[in-house]
Amino acid sequence: MQTVALIDYGSGNLPSAHKALLVAAGDLARPPKISATADPELIAGADRIVLPGVGAFAACMAALASLPGLLEALDHAVRERGAPFLGICVGMQLMAERGLEFGESPGLAWVTGDVRRLAPPAPRFKVPHMGWNTLDGALDQALFTGLPAGTHMYFTHSFAFFATDLGDIAAWTTHGETFPAAVRRDNLAGVQFHPEKSQGAGGRVLANFLAWRP
Amino acid sequence: MILYPAIDLKDGQCVRVVRGDLATATVFNTSPADQARRWSAAGFSWLHVVDLNGSVAGRAINEGAVRAILAEASAPVQLGGGIRSLADAAAWFEAGVSRIILGTAAVEDPELVRTAARRWPEGIAVSVDVRGGKVAVDGWTRDTSLTGPDVARRFEDAGIAALIVTDIDRDGSQIGFDIEVFGAMADAVAIPVIAAGGLASVDDIHRLRTRAGTPIAGAVLGRALYAGAIDPRAALLAAAA
Repeated sequence: MQTVALIDYGSGNLPSAHKALLVAAGDLARPPKISATADPELIAGADRIVLPGVGAFAACMAALASLPGLLEALDHAVRERGAPFLGICVGMQLMAERGLEFGESPGLAWVTGDVRRLAPPAPRFKVPHMGWNTLDGALDQALFTGLPAGTHMYFTHSFAFFATDLGDIAAWTTHGETFPAAVRRDNLAGVQFHPEKSQGAGGRVLANFLAWRP
Repeated sequence: MILYPAIDLKDGQCVRVVRGDLATATVFNTSPADQARRWSAAGFSWLHVVDLNGSVAGRAINEGAVRAILAEASAPVQLGGGIRSLADAAAWFEAGVSRIILGTAAVEDPELVRTAARRWPEGIAVSVDVRGGKVAVDGWTRDTSLTGPDVARRFEDAGIAALIVTDIDRDGSQIGFDIEVFGAMADAVAIPVIAAGGLASVDDIHRLRTRAGTPIAGAVLGRALYAGAIDPRAALLAAAA
């Protein structure tokens, strides 16, 4: 049976991400086993990995790094073995080279670019960007099969991952300024929105991820 | 217009009450998490959750049920009932609530609302619960001398996400709603108004959406939805049309 490791490092959206993955997996012909875990052995050997995350970039990175063997296990699974990876919200942002929040903090540096605070040009665009917004542009077919441009997803964040290689951007959205709603490079995918709070469309993204063979 | 199915919690269960009186509670689902899953699966893009015991007690009473809802719902949740401090609000945001509703706290301590709205832009809604033209607090057990627009105007430039206006006289009664209770508030301030209390049919949703004057941004659906008088699909179509 395939295994999905949902990395448990104290993120607030873990229970809802777990439930949503179970629901998405339930629709598959051969549902994988989904475990919320911080066990490096399970993570290193998992067929797929999901990294949730809410809050601050540096705090999330520090929490990940504080778990013994976790960064090494993650690196082994997704970089050496090529296991499909999905980062959600701050879990996506951690894929960046750097977070620019209070000074500069290093990220996992899997995808080129920095995470910086949203700076919409007019005060009517509030930060955090909180609410339903559309996926725009040419949507990446690995993540968004079955979902047209214009599909609404639920966002809640103050920072965004400004990936610099346009080929890595899997969907855009606009809140005063335009920024990536999702990134993908090879077997690595990340979404800024919360699929676990985005109803059927969010469930479809999770199901697509679980069925994805990069 | 956004529709918010209501999940009102009393003693860990999903109930509907009439005019805010907890003694009139009818249990519609013993598992609030199951109810949250159903409403989000039906296509509603937000859920409206109220800790009824908490509103009277002034602190969270149904915390376990709310956490179960947060895990189960595939849509964002706005939560009210017993949230009286910044620390209360911070803990709920941390737990995954998307918007906090302040009611009693908004009347007793308007500065709390302003501070919270600065800290969580788009994250704070104020509920204004009106009975006989006056605002009621403490789980609707106590009336004040303030009118709805009096309270609303206090927050005109506070940066709150919404005013949730409840017509207590008609809430849970299914006798049809009085559109002007909400209309007067929408016309009084520029804050988006969410109408609650007494929506009895899909036609009421249509009337709210097509009202002349300032648009009504949303509506909370309660008893009529649970009783089957409002069909979720027809309601969502009426709200979007």
